[in-house]
Amino acid sequence: PRAVSTRGNAEALVALLVLATLYYTEGSSVARAAACYGLAVHVKIYPLTYALPIALHLQGRQHGHGAALAMGHHGKARSPLLGFLWQLLTNRDVLLFGAVAGSVLGSLTFAFYYLYGWEFLEHAYLYHLTRRDTRHNFSPYFYMLYLTAESRWSFALGLAAFLPQLLLLVVVSVVFYRDLAFCCFLHTAIFVSFNKVCTSQYFVWYLCLLPLIIPNLRMSWRRGALLLSLWFLGQGLWLAPGYFLEFKGYNTFLLIWLAGLLFLSINTFVLVQIISHYQREAQVVEKNKQR
Amino acid sequence: MGCGGLEILSDRIGAGLWAAGLPRALRELLLVRAQASSGFFSGAQAVCQDAVVTQQLLQEGFHRELLLQVELGATREDLGRCTVAARTRLPPGIYVDPYELASLQRHNFTKALVIPDAVDVEAPEYLASDLVVLLYMTPDPRCSGCFTATLPVHGRYHRPAENNGTALVALKSPEILICCCDNHLSTECWKPSDVEAACLGRSSHPCQWYSVKHKPVSEELIMQIPVGLRQHRFLVCVTTLLATVLCSSMILAAACRYGHSPLQTCSEQKYRSMK
Repeated sequence: PRAVSTRGNAEALVALLVLATLYYTEGSSVARAAACYGLAVHVKIYPLTYALPIALHLQGRQHGHGAALAMGHHGKARSPLLGFLWQLLTNRDVLLFGAVAGSVLGSLTFAFYYLYGWEFLEHAYLYHLTRRDTRHNFSPYFYMLYLTAESRWSFALGLAAFLPQLLLLVVVSVVFYRDLAFCCFLHTAIFVSFNKVCTSQYFVWYLCLLPLIIPNLRMSWRRGALLLSLWFLGQGLWLAPGYFLEFKGYNTFLLIWLAGLLFLSINTFVLVQIISHYQREAQVVEKNKQR
Repeated sequence: MGCGGLEILSDRIGAGLWAAGLPRALRELLLVRAQASSGFFSGAQAVCQDAVVTQQLLQEGFHRELLLQVELGATREDLGRCTVAARTRLPPGIYVDPYELASLQRHNFTKALVIPDAVDVEAPEYLASDLVVLLYMTPDPRCSGCFTATLPVHGRYHRPAENNGTALVALKSPEILICCCDNHLSTECWKPSDVEAACLGRSSHPCQWYSVKHKPVSEELIMQIPVGLRQHRFLVCVTTLLATVLCSSMILAAACRYGHSPLQTCSEQKYRSMK
């Protein structure tokens, strides 16, 4: 993180704030967690995706995990999804979290707008909405988006690229929210791997959460080393044609694209291995509830 | 004799006068009179020597260095207190990074002004605009009256091409500008130019910039940039989407298998998402 931070992106700061958010959430200091979260989102937008797992976690903790998601137990059961959403949004902890995080983020946004004017809003938020960067990067979608940048399919393809990412994030939030650190790790790893733009800088976002989940990974050292080597190999196989394109001028677009697909496959394999070897602390949680 | 011949004759007369050890002003006066009396005097251009400009692109790929070398007709002593600069117009296919230039300027490697000073470094070529760069040149020890400068430039992404995997960017020859605050430049060889750049001499106000007519060694410089091929479009789109759907299904399956049971059963959710 230090090497990435010195290039002008304070990833170390965001990592700290995210970890603080998780720490305070697990430790039941909802207001402090929300304040850290608001600050984290202000510094970088990506922690916004943690809103769903955090909300589910807070709500689940209060009502007990077993009953939290049961259909028809709370309120009208006309639509279980709506009923569940209503229950989620009226939960005391969730509301407190939302209110504190919202006010922190809102007041920071207002303060910086007051200091820097429209330029701040443009560079911090609006830029991400209109940014079109189709230069070569780790994302599997890069070549597709580059070739179709000016075609009429551009919007549809952009949406098609967004849907798997969105679906995965929602499903992972719903099935893993009980273990917040693991959920957030998977969240960010999936978000980065399936994003339309992916650079090395983004890897720091989920690597900072890796130390939190390693103690619960029931995996041999050999398997862990193999996965890590595969991950680095995937990057190396992409960086080689990338170097020849950028610094030697060879037309290696197809190779870069294939390497991007390979890297996605490797990331998928690593994530599936991590999911299948993760020891959920279900027994510990049950014991705590019985006390 | 044509113009070229006239120049050769002037050079020879000039060389002869120099060899005779005459002071410069007297030499010039005699030279003009010699040409006038020989009947070959064709106006002010006769005493002006063209500047010779060479430009080269060093390195390969997207990140290059533009090397400019200028050989002005005058000697180093004449140009001792003058500032020489090159004004070049970069087409949309190439850009300079203002932050990189600022950093180089801080370390006294290169000094340049970019107009406009805000450059979108991520924009592709078809969304970018021309840039005008005023590059200050330093005396080149190679020869007297020679100046040199390097400018780091970067290629932008171009539109994908149908068949040919390379796009060409043409870089025109730069305009050479000079600013001498003691006003000893003869206005026949140099024409005034409006340049929005500082050139301060002994006086506190900026001095007049002049531009020189020159004879570039090579008119245009061509930079080759690799581009994607449109013929790959269908294959790339289909394969990419298939791969991402496959990978996301695998992660979904693992999540459903090892995660806690959600609102509906996992298989129902997966079924709906695949539709």
